[in-house]
Amino acid sequence: MEKEIVLSVKNLNVKFKLRGRALHAIRDISLDVYKGESLAIVGESGSGKSVFTKAFMGLLDKNGYIESGEILYKGQNLAAFKTEREWQSIRGREIAMVLQDPMTSLNPLKTIGAQIGEAIQLHQGLKGKDLKAAVLEILRDVGITEPERRYKQYPHEFSGGMRQRVVIAIGIACRPRTLICDEPTTALDVTIQAQILELLKSLKKKYQLTTLYITHDLGVVANVADRIAVMYAGDIVEIGSCEEIFYDPRHPYTWALLSSLPQLGVKGEELYTIKGTPPNLFQTIKGDAYAPRNPRALKIDFVERPPYFEVSPTHRVRSWLMDSRAPKVDPPEHIKKLRSQGGIYR
Amino acid sequence: MIRYLAKRLARSVITLIIIISIVFLLLRLMPIEGYFQNYDKLTKGQIHTGIVNMGLDKPIPVQLKNFFIQLLHGNLGVSRIYRANVPITEILAGKVPISLTLGGISLILSLVLGIPLGTLMARFKGKFWDRFGTAFIVFIQAVPAAVYYLFIQVFGYEYLGFSMLFKKGDFTTWILPIISLALGNIAYYSMWLRRYMVDESNKDYVKLAVAKGVSSKDIMMKHVFRNAVVPMIQYLPSSFLNTVIGSIYVESLYSIPGMGGLLVDVVKRQDNTMVQAMVILFACVGILGLILGDILMTILDPRISFNKKGGAR
Ligand SMILES: Nc1ncnc2c1ncn2[C@@H]1O[C@H](COP(=O)(O)OP(=O)(O)OP(=O)(O)O)[C@@H](O)[C@H]1O
Ligand SMILES: [Mg+2]
Repeated sequence: MEKEIVLSVKNLNVKFKLRGRALHAIRDISLDVYKGESLAIVGESGSGKSVFTKAFMGLLDKNGYIESGEILYKGQNLAAFKTEREWQSIRGREIAMVLQDPMTSLNPLKTIGAQIGEAIQLHQGLKGKDLKAAVLEILRDVGITEPERRYKQYPHEFSGGMRQRVVIAIGIACRPRTLICDEPTTALDVTIQAQILELLKSLKKKYQLTTLYITHDLGVVANVADRIAVMYAGDIVEIGSCEEIFYDPRHPYTWALLSSLPQLGVKGEELYTIKGTPPNLFQTIKGDAYAPRNPRALKIDFVERPPYFEVSPTHRVRSWLMDSRAPKVDPPEHIKKLRSQGGIYR
Repeated sequence: MIRYLAKRLARSVITLIIIISIVFLLLRLMPIEGYFQNYDKLTKGQIHTGIVNMGLDKPIPVQLKNFFIQLLHGNLGVSRIYRANVPITEILAGKVPISLTLGGISLILSLVLGIPLGTLMARFKGKFWDRFGTAFIVFIQAVPAAVYYLFIQVFGYEYLGFSMLFKKGDFTTWILPIISLALGNIAYYSMWLRRYMVDESNKDYVKLAVAKGVSSKDIMMKHVFRNAVVPMIQYLPSSFLNTVIGSIYVESLYSIPGMGGLLVDVVKRQDNTMVQAMVILFACVGILGLILGDILMTILDPRISFNKKGGAR
């Protein structure tokens, strides 16, 4: 089965200028996104998840720039886009984004109907009655009851979960092919989180979307993702199918991430936390970025950046442990147990 | 909405009653010379009759009651010194329209120039318009108003052939005073508009609007500008009313027979009843400005709810 590639990132480097210094936020990432798939990007705070995906839509902050690399989308190189005009052919129309914080993502002085309508008018050209009908349909799609009444209401009249539904509605209203959800549920409580994830899954089916989920919670992605990319310090250190990442993780950082899952904790014991801090991205990173925090680091890890090693056609790892000359290092016991326990699928 | 307004008005009326009472009581402390045009030449007997005639011999509470009754009839009393025995309302009737028109036109001018300037500054932050506007604002705020007022007058007279004095019937004599009055407000409005717009454009909802593909021009006009205007609207009525009553210097510079210099005039000449009337009038105007501002704000900002019905859920 040959999968169609919709978005292809090649050796992307993104930097930020900050008081005369450059912060290297995305360090040479390559990634293919397949049509209709659901790809999760996980990693701790500051690993560059948001920056990476914002680069696809020209949404980098003013001090940020793409230093090198390509973002290929439908035969165009988005990385070379300069004008607002060029980006407008992509933003919303092709790729839409659901932002992290539903409480501040809506304009407080415009009705929900107007804000969803703006997107529909822009991308589908509907007006008047048709526009309103389309808005009401989308409100129903995202599970908002009494759409007629809600249409006229303002954001402050909605709860957090409801607002996130509205933000999702705005994303969908653009009729994009790809939807990026940047931590769509972090600001919400657990039960609402589950509802929103369900909603996103059903919308994905209905509108045949390719979705990118950004999250720092591996527990969340297990439910929604086909593939998982693990990011560390501006790089994808491991990528594979959901099963491969959960049951056959190879990178020590992925082990650490998995270890900190509450599902793996032993009752009465403290949850595992990853020691140390991520590297300073202002400095050139030598070797494996994770090495200083990795208790099992090899000598070579401090000297040279590991290349990708292929575990399977769908599974790649950037770690010297995979080299044939490397000593055999087993993943921690409890990670192996994950499989026998039936995993973290809920 | 109606209930909110009623409440708001009732509170203002109470505030007003308190202010009037305090002003009235304070003025009772003023020397009684302030009630007679030629106090020095009067005999004790004449003064006594005058006091009795004006009802100033009665106990203070009775005087206060009488004063309120008089106010309710729309009567501010009679001037004693400024223009002896002329009803104060009559004196004001000749002056208020001039100041009101002058203030009104200058307000429109300051909005017409200040709002685009502020918008341009915010839209092209750090570029030419922003620098130009900032320079203008700094100039207006750093140089004492009296200096550039004088400059405008002299320049207008010397080089543009405008009259130095105001004539009600001749519109060209209105131009320089209006420009002088507007300059401060242009700077003020553009400064605040820029500030509010820059604040707004850093908010998350703007990022979402960009992400959904709205052009930066539409974002500025339909989202940022509109949201930035709301907090400004609140101060607009007060700022207008202040222009009307506070143009003391401009009015005296061009000898405009308006309200501006009046308070200073009557204080200097110790016309007790006039001072009283003017202070009360200014208090009314201040309170009115606040109410109008609040009402406009309530209409424009849906988050300020009139009642609790249909609240968040
Ligand atoms: N405008 C900016 N200027 C300078 N550095 C920035 C800027 N935006 C992001 N960065 C840096 O880029 C790196 C990646 O940030 P990013 O927001 O992508 O992290 P993230 O993985 O999304 O984290 P989180 O989970 O907290 O959202 C961080 O080190 C951050 O400090
Ligand atoms: Mg982020």
